[in-house]
Formats: sequence, structure tokens, C-alpha cells
Amino acid sequence: MTIQNIIELFYLTIFTTIIGFMVFFYIVTRKPPRGGVSARERADGGAGRGMDRRERQWLYFLIAVALLGNLATLSPLVPAAKNALWAQEQPVKQVVIEVRDYKFILPEKPITIPAGVPVEFIVISDDLTYGFGVFRKDGTMVFQMQVVPKPYENRITWVFEEPGHYDIRSTEYSGPKHPYMYIPDAIAVVGGGGR
Amino acid sequence: MNEDERKLLTLRFVVVALVFFALAGLEGTIMRFRISNMLTEFFTEKHFYAIMTAHPFVGIYGWAYMAVMGAFYFLVPYVLKRDIYSKRAAYASFWLMTIGVATVWATTFITHYAPLYTLYWPLPAAIELAGWEPISLVAFGLGAALIILGVLTFFFNMFATIFLPVRQQEVVANGGENVRAGAAYVAKELLVTAFNLDKLRAKIRGIPNYVEKVFNYPVFVVAVFRGCVDTTLNALVMGGFGILIIIFGLSYLLPGAGLSFNIIDPLIYKNVFWWGLDLIADGNVLIFTAGTWYLLVPLLLGRPLYGESVVRTVILADLVVSLFVWNHHMLADTPQPLFLQIQGQIFTWGELLTMGLTIFAVLMTIWLARPVRYSAPLKFVLASILGYGIGGTAGIIQANYSMNRYLHNTQWVIGIHGHVQLLVGLSLTIFAAIYALFPMLTGKSLNERLADVHLILMTVGGLVMGLSMGLAGSAGMLRRTLYPMGLGPYEPYMTVAIIGALLMAAGFAVFLLNVVRTIGIKALIGIFLPSKPRVASKTV
Repeated sequence: MTIQNIIELFYLTIFTTIIGFMVFFYIVTRKPPRGGVSARERADGGAGRGMDRRERQWLYFLIAVALLGNLATLSPLVPAAKNALWAQEQPVKQVVIEVRDYKFILPEKPITIPAGVPVEFIVISDDLTYGFGVFRKDGTMVFQMQVVPKPYENRITWVFEEPGHYDIRSTEYSGPKHPYMYIPDAIAVVGGGGR
Repeated sequence: MNEDERKLLTLRFVVVALVFFALAGLEGTIMRFRISNMLTEFFTEKHFYAIMTAHPFVGIYGWAYMAVMGAFYFLVPYVLKRDIYSKRAAYASFWLMTIGVATVWATTFITHYAPLYTLYWPLPAAIELAGWEPISLVAFGLGAALIILGVLTFFFNMFATIFLPVRQQEVVANGGENVRAGAAYVAKELLVTAFNLDKLRAKIRGIPNYVEKVFNYPVFVVAVFRGCVDTTLNALVMGGFGILIIIFGLSYLLPGAGLSFNIIDPLIYKNVFWWGLDLIADGNVLIFTAGTWYLLVPLLLGRPLYGESVVRTVILADLVVSLFVWNHHMLADTPQPLFLQIQGQIFTWGELLTMGLTIFAVLMTIWLARPVRYSAPLKFVLASILGYGIGGTAGIIQANYSMNRYLHNTQWVIGIHGHVQLLVGLSLTIFAAIYALFPMLTGKSLNERLADVHLILMTVGGLVMGLSMGLAGSAGMLRRTLYPMGLGPYEPYMTVAIIGALLMAAGFAVFLLNVVRTIGIKALIGIFLPSKPRVASKTV
């Protein structure tokens, strides 16, 4: 199961919950309330001059969701956060890729990488802003980053867990020639893991 | 400007906005087909990217901005019981916007200039690499500058309408002479009121029980001027980029004067660009929408807004948060300092709080009004809340530092977040305003059954298209690109997205049918004729 599958499942749950809630809300609000609405709520909108209990509880809930969301996505549970924020190991290999005139210039073809160890990609553009994305053979994305042109160097460290061949594709629009910035089988991840 | 003139102006804005909405929809549908490698004989790759560049300009500035401008030119005087500050500026903003959007569209259509709305440096100026005609830079920059001039003219007119008369009244009430208050006064009042600086001053001076100036204004007007702060800043930044492109274009046209695009730092440029551009998302999309809900829902239900004093603070919080969220567009830029990226993530979660409280206030207002008879505009408001709920949560997910590594620039971003938020969230809010204002402006009501069909088709179509694009994105499909070698595993998602787009198109056709059968084609054309059009003259 990829991280994208988890995102899909999580999001589809939210998607159906929101639709279900809105349909429920629409149906229920067409009927009169059981106990009626208090005179105060009819007069001042319910909350008066400040925040009332219900609104405060809702705010606390939102704050809790925000805190949990930030903690979860920045935690090492997510491979991208683990590689970028938590990893202690130095990269065992550096791969320097240049980009010029809508072309990736690879140091070797395929770029051979051991599985299970951190590898740093350094991508340098001579001219335009491009993107650098690594994709599995089924089209799902492993990771990607923007390629900001010189004087900047764009670096990302990644640990490939699965041996196999991977494609490279530019992930940022850079003009009509952009869709042809695609190299199938540009990376070969070998071995059963270096750890 | 009398009330009939304001109605006429609003109708002109709205009709032109609807024309641009239709154009943006047509472009979007063409792109959906073209991404699936259909219609290749009619639309070349260059043409596709030109459409992709024009589409957001037509959709955002032509549709969303012009519809909002038209509505506010009627609603702000209506709510404040004042006239618009300048009739001339109002008409100028109409023509500047119309000509500006048409110029951008025509430039991309004729020259295939396609730097995309992102304008990542140095692509807009890379004439040899990308194959642009130098004249296209000048024409495109000019179109963008006209749009921005129109936007700034509108905002100045709004600020002057809201703040100037108060000044005159205050002076007279204090026994002073009726002095001329100018732009500096308006700017000062705007900043003081928009950011509650008077409250801060009162706290520093130890004034007890001070009620800030913002409470002098209805909550809708508060949303208008606080949203206008965001969108004015946006206009200043975008106008700057338009002028920059014109300067580079002119330098390429003059022999020996060609500027080197290396004189601009691409990362600093990108930071400034996204800081400015994201302010549209907050000013136009979130704050104006919130203001429109705050106005329409109590009006339609005939009861006060729930927690009215709190939502003023929420709008201020949204304004402040909006100034610090641009980094969520740069989470994939590894040269960007890490602390800025984490800051961008955390502030973006702040939008969950502000939008969450906004939606809560609107839903509570409806809840306390049970039993509710849902009129067409109220149904559209409810559906737009659904759109914001679905599109907003997708946005929060992708705006995380780690999640962005998998979702940045995929169809997820533009599908389930961007288009659901813009088409189901923002556009249905605009349609809610159109359905609510239509009787005031024309003296006739639109058919409610056809409105239901319009609503269902737009909502279902938008969600089907957005979700299928979103799932394609999580499966790895990129945005902003064709797949000339075939879509492969993404093809089924794109086929469903086409069905969603066609459902939305059908919904819009039903809306047009409803308008034409209600007021007739003659009256519709009459809006643009010099002779007196058929608009309701009764005071509203």
C-alpha cells in the first residue's frame, strides 16, 4: 500500500462524511425543531456579543484537528517527512542531474541505486524552472520536487524500499516542450536493501 | 448614480461575467477532451497550452471578479444606503476588465503565448527557448495591466464609497466644516478599520469599553473591505509582473536592447509571486464568499446572523492569516528555507479554523431558523458550503510539507481542491447571489424547478469531475501537461472527468434557458443598448 492509497482512503472518508452530513442537514432543517428555538436565539442570532458554548466547542475541535494534522504529517510516519526531517544517516550516494533546454542529462543510464539506503539527488537547471519526479512503472509517484534554475541547487534525499525500474518526468510546466521531458527506466534500484 | 443606473451597471457586469464563465467552461471542456488525446486535429499542443494559460485569467478575472464587482456595485450602496462614490470609475472598471480579459485571451489564442498563470521566471521572457513572439509579451502584459487597473479602480471606488461619507458626516456632526477628504484619508481609515488598529490604540491608551470602528459597518461590508485589502495587494503584485513582462517584451523588440532574464532571481520572484497570487484565494474566494453568505442567509431567512460579532473577528483572522500562507505553494522548492515551509503549513491550517468558524456561523443561522423553506439561492448557498468543505479539506491535505511531496502539481491540486472550490464553492455562491438579486434587478423571478436542475447538474458535475481528477492525481497524474504518448493508467479517471464537465455544461445551459425564458432575449440585449433597458425601477 502506497502513501497515496492511504491519502485516498482517508480523503474518501471525509468526502462521503461531508456529503452525508450536508444531505442530513438539508433534510432535518426543513422540519420544525422539537423543543423550539429560544426567544434569545431568535432575537440576537444565538451567540450574543461573544462566542457561545457551541461555537467555542467547535473551535476547540478545529484546533485539535489542526494540531493532530500537523503532528501526524510532520512525524516520521510519512516517508517524505522521515527522509527530510528525521533521518540521521548521511546519503550513501549522490546523483547529480543537469537540466538544459528541456532535457535531463543523466550521469548514467540507468542510474543504479541500492535499495534501502539514503540517496541524494541534486538537480541543477541551466535555464528554466522545471520539475523532477520519480515514478513507478504503474504511473504512481514516488516523490518529486521543483527544479529552480541556477544559482540554486535542488536537493532531495530518498530511500527506495522496492527494487525495480523507475521513470523520471518533469513535474513542472516549462513551455510546450515540457511533456516530452520523460525518461522511462531512468533509475534502476537494485538489491534487497542495504540496511 | 441613481438606483436604476446601478442596476444597469450590475446587470452589465453579470452578463459579461457569464459570457466569460461560458468561455472558461468551453476552454475547460476542450482541455478535458484534449488531455484524453481527443480533438487533436483541431487543437495542437501549442494551442492546448495557450488555452491553459488563458483559462484561469478568463475564469478568475472574467467570471469571478466581474461577477463580484457587479454584485458589490449594487449591494454595498444597498446595504449602506449610499451612492457609489464615482460613476465614472465604476464604468471605467467595467471596460478595463472586459478589454483586459479579452486582450489576454486574444493574445494567447492568436500567438500561442503560453507562460501559464504561474509565470515562473524566466519562462515568460524566455523567447528563444520556449519559442514566444516578442510582441506577444507586450500584448499579454498589457492585457494583464488593464485587468489590474480595472481591479484597482473598483477597489478604490469601493473603499471611497464605504469610508468617505462617514468622514463627511463625522466632521459635520462635530461642528466642523465639510472638508474634502481624499485618497490618503480613505487609505488611513481602511487600514485602521480593516486591522482594528483603533482598538489597539484604545488598549494602549487604556480606554475602557471601547467599541472598534468596524462595528459601525454591517458584517457584509466588513467582509468587502477586508477582502478588498487582500485583493488590492494581489493586484499591486500582479500588476508589477504585467509591467515586468511588458518591459522585457519591449526590450526584445528594440534592436540591441534585449534584457537578460538572469537579472531576476527566480526564487525571490517565486516568493513574491505566490505571496501576491494567493491573496486572491483568501480575498476573493474565502472572504468575499463568507461576506456573501453572511448577507444572503439572514436576508433569505429573515433572522439575524448567528454570532455576528464573532464573525467580524474571524474575517480579520482570515485577513491576517492570508498574509502568511504563500509558502504552501512552495513546499516542493527545496532551496526554500525549511522554516518558511513549515510556517506555510501551520498558517494554512489556520484557514481550517477561519473557514470552519465561518461555515459554523452560517449553518447555525440556518439551524436556528427551522423549519426552513429552501429558496433557490439558499440551496445554492448550502451546496457552495459543501464545495468549500470538500475542496478545502483536500487543500489542507496537499498543503502539508510531507504530503506535498506526493501531491504537488498533480491533478489532485487542481481537481478535488482547485476546481471543486472554484466551481462548487465560489461559483455556486455567485449563482446564489444572482438568483437572489435577479428579482431586485429585473422585477422577475427565475423558475425554481429549473434552478434545482441547474444546481444538481453543477454540483454533481463539479464533484464527479473534481473527484476523478483528484484520484488521478493520487495515482500520479500531473496537472499542466499533456500525455502525448497516451494516458495509460490515468485514462479511466479522465473519461469520468469529461462526463463531470459535460454535466456542468448542461447545468449552465439550463440556467441560460431559465434566464432567457424569464426576461426574454430582447431585454438581455437591451442591457447593453443606450436606450433605457427593462429593469425594475421600484426602490428595493
